[in-house]
This record gives sequence, structure tokens and C-alpha cells, in this order.
Amino acid sequence: MNAVDLHRKLERNSGLLIFGILLVSAIGGLVQVLPSVLQDDLVTPGPGTQPYGPVELIGRDLYIREGCSTCHSQQVRPLLAEVKRYGPYSKAGESAYDRPFLWGSKRTGPDLHRIGGKYTDLWQRMHLLDPRSVVPDSIMPGYPWLAERAADADGSIQARMRALRRLGHPYTEAEIEAAPAALAGLAEVDALVAYLQSLRPPNAEATP
Amino acid sequence: MAELPSTFWSGWISVLTVGSLIGVFWLIYSIYFAAGGEEEEPSPVWDGNLREGEHPAPLWWFWLIFGSLVISVIYLMLYPGLGAFRGALNWSQGGEISQRLERYQTEFGPLRRLVAEAQLDTLREDAKLMASAQRIYDRNCAVCHGYEAQGQANLFPNLADAAWQWGGEPAQVEHSIRHGRQAVMVGWEAALGEQAIDQLTDYTLALGNGTAAGHPAEGQYMQFCAACHGADGSGNPQLGAPNLTDDASLYGQSAAAIRQSIAQGRNGEMPAFGERLDDTQIRLLVAWLTRPTTPE
Repeated sequence: MNAVDLHRKLERNSGLLIFGILLVSAIGGLVQVLPSVLQDDLVTPGPGTQPYGPVELIGRDLYIREGCSTCHSQQVRPLLAEVKRYGPYSKAGESAYDRPFLWGSKRTGPDLHRIGGKYTDLWQRMHLLDPRSVVPDSIMPGYPWLAERAADADGSIQARMRALRRLGHPYTEAEIEAAPAALAGLAEVDALVAYLQSLRPPNAEATP
Repeated sequence: MAELPSTFWSGWISVLTVGSLIGVFWLIYSIYFAAGGEEEEPSPVWDGNLREGEHPAPLWWFWLIFGSLVISVIYLMLYPGLGAFRGALNWSQGGEISQRLERYQTEFGPLRRLVAEAQLDTLREDAKLMASAQRIYDRNCAVCHGYEAQGQANLFPNLADAAWQWGGEPAQVEHSIRHGRQAVMVGWEAALGEQAIDQLTDYTLALGNGTAAGHPAEGQYMQFCAACHGADGSGNPQLGAPNLTDDASLYGQSAAAIRQSIAQGRNGEMPAFGERLDDTQIRLLVAWLTRPTTPE
């Protein structure tokens, strides 16, 4: 067959044309996306990667709510300069319990995937509430309201954990039962700090 | 390298990719090199003489597609892309970074070792090394301790003055950086009551002024505070108990700040940087932080 003939046939038959367009535009996804979704080491937790505890989970949701990933990435790329600056590069299995993942695509501020433990809780707290109280030339906005609200104001932590369990996060019933107690008395900023402090390279030896 | 789920998917990728390339090749071949088939019915005519297919497809379009095709084929032969085939170069992202780290180690490793083992005085004499040290400081220490090492917010210690809570000897400073520090001063309000706290606050102020001798709270100070801060108030760097007689005061010099320290306690924390910084960086930081200060 000849391409010009095919073209004539296609442009005179709209059903065929629609099918052809769908087919051609699907090829990229069929080659690139579909096998990756089914690739085991991209969807199973890497060694040492644990599901978030209740406090970190709330903190992560706050990280999403406040749009932190707009300015901070969470992926140390496998480049010499990044590994030297931030630490071990990020691996796919580390994001197995991230729904959705927060890799980000822009760094107005630094990458945060290895930030845990670099600064103290106190510093993180001061910096979140009023960045310029500790970094005079910082351009990060302050989030003072995080100190005013309770971390789990609507008492939804158990529902959140159950939803994630349905998606395959291995929370036990006892963990879910204990979750509200872990959050009792914490402000939003405490949960967010706990989440930030949990962003470290997974400790492979700690896996049971 | 990440493994693909099964040979089926490897084949799936290869077949779709190669199939697409062949499709594109067939497209440009039949447009540019094969004669078009005869039309069963003549195409409509517009504006007197304008028909479809009157002009050949543009040549830049041919070269664009042909060029992409050639580049794709070469790329897929050299680099991973066709399913499980790793390409003639056997390149992988993980291999690339470990190679670069190795090259970095070969190129700079001996030099860095030299710095890590050098005398502090020698390091201090090298202006470039000291500039590096300052950059390491700016990246890792400055957001707490301040860009001038002046301390911040009455919470993060001044590193530029002569007072060192955990000791200012190079070995002590290195320990602080490598392993971090956790200060533990308990709050005394519950145990001693407000009146005693007030008296001890006054005593601490007197220690700073050098007028503590014979102070009414001396007995209480000796009983509760002297174990860590010393009978003369000169502190104990082993425990991170600060000197109470000098001018430096991390949490503030005012009676209110001192009172709060005594009543509520203080739990200053320095994170450990032994995992984050290597021996060379720590050595440079120690040399820079403990450099003799120029009198102002």
C-alpha cells in the first residue's frame, strides 16, 4: 500500500481517522508508561523504606496542602554534584509509600529528600513559621498559621490510614487505633517538622 | 539496572518501537520515492486551478524525519531503549554515577586526604582552603549559627567569640560537628519553687558581675548547680554546662532569660554532621572555626 492512498482513505472516513489518531498517540504511553507501571522494583518498597507513621502522614498531607513541592524537589538525581551536595541519590522504591509522589520539578529552594536530621526540630519550626527569623535573606514565605491549628483537627487520621491500607500500605489495626493518641496535642507545624525530619536515605539494615 | 517485568514486556517494547520506526520509514519512502496511486475520483478544484497534491511534499520535511530516524536507530543501538537490550555501550545511569564518583575519588581523593590529615595551622595559612571552609560553613552551619558565625535568636550559639559551651579545642569542636551535642539542663521550678528560682537568678547575675561571694543563694547554688556549672561557675565543657561568669550567654543576659533557663531548663541540640560531611570538610571547618581571632 501507498501512504498517499492510505491518507486518502483516512481523511474520508472520520471513524478510521479517530482510531488512527488514538493509535498513534497511544504508542508512546504503551512503550514508556505501561511496562513501568508493571515493573516490580518501581512499585515495591526499596530496602528500609517504611510506610509513614501517623504524625509524618499528616505532615506529608500538609506539605501537599501548602504546596511545598512547588518550590522544593524531592529527588536527588544521580549526578556527581547532587550526590555531593545532598547525599545518596533517590531511588524509585523509596517512593512506594508516596501517594502521590512529591518528586517536584523545580528548585526555587533546595531539594529536601535528604533534609531529615540536618537541622534541629526547633530550627525547622522557627524557619517554617518565620523563615527570616533564622535566614535573613530567605525568600521563602512564612507559614505562621501552622502553629495555630491542631495537626489532626478533623480527626481524619484513621480514615486516611485505612484508605492507604486499602492501597497496600501495611498498617496494622493496632497502629491505626493508636494513631489519634500519637497526634494528640500536636500543632500542624509539629507534624510537618516530623515529616521533614523523616526525609532521609532509607536505612537498609533497619529492615526487619 | 532496573529489570523489566518479563520478557513479554521486553518484546512488547521492542516490537512497538521497531514497528514505529518502520512505519515512519514507510511513510517517507512512499511519499517521496513511490508514485502515488491513481485516484478513483478526481479531487475537487478550488479557485479555478487549485487541486490537492499538486505540489510535492517539502524537502525540509523529508530531511527532518529522515534525520530523526537515523538518530533514533543509532541511539537505540548504543544506549538502552529496546526492551532488555542494553546497547553497545553498555551504559546505565547507575554505572555512570559510580564511574564519576570513582573518577572524582581518583582525581581528588589523595588531595582531600592530605587536607584531612594536615596540621590546622597549615590549613589556616592557605586562603583558598579557608574560603572553601567558609563555603562549607555557609552551606551547612550558617542557617543556625548565622552567616557571620555570630549566633542567632538567643538559641544558636555564637561561634566567633571566645566562649565554647562544649569546649573550643579543635578535638572538642570536631566532636561537636561529627557527633552532634545534646544539652540537658533540667527545669528546677517544680523542685525548688519560685522563690528559690528568683534567688538563683540573682546569684547567676552576681556570678557574671563577680559579686557572688557571700550571696544568700550560694548554698543552693552549691547544692543544685555546682555539680555541672562548677563551684566557681566556670562551667564544664564535658557536660556542655556553660561558664556563668563570662560575658557570653547563649539564651540572653537578662534576668528574665536566666530565670527561664533555671525554671524551665534548656535542651540545646546540635545535629551530627558525621554522615553528611566527610573528614576533609570537617577538618577544614575545624581549622576555620578555631582560627585565632583577629582583635578588633
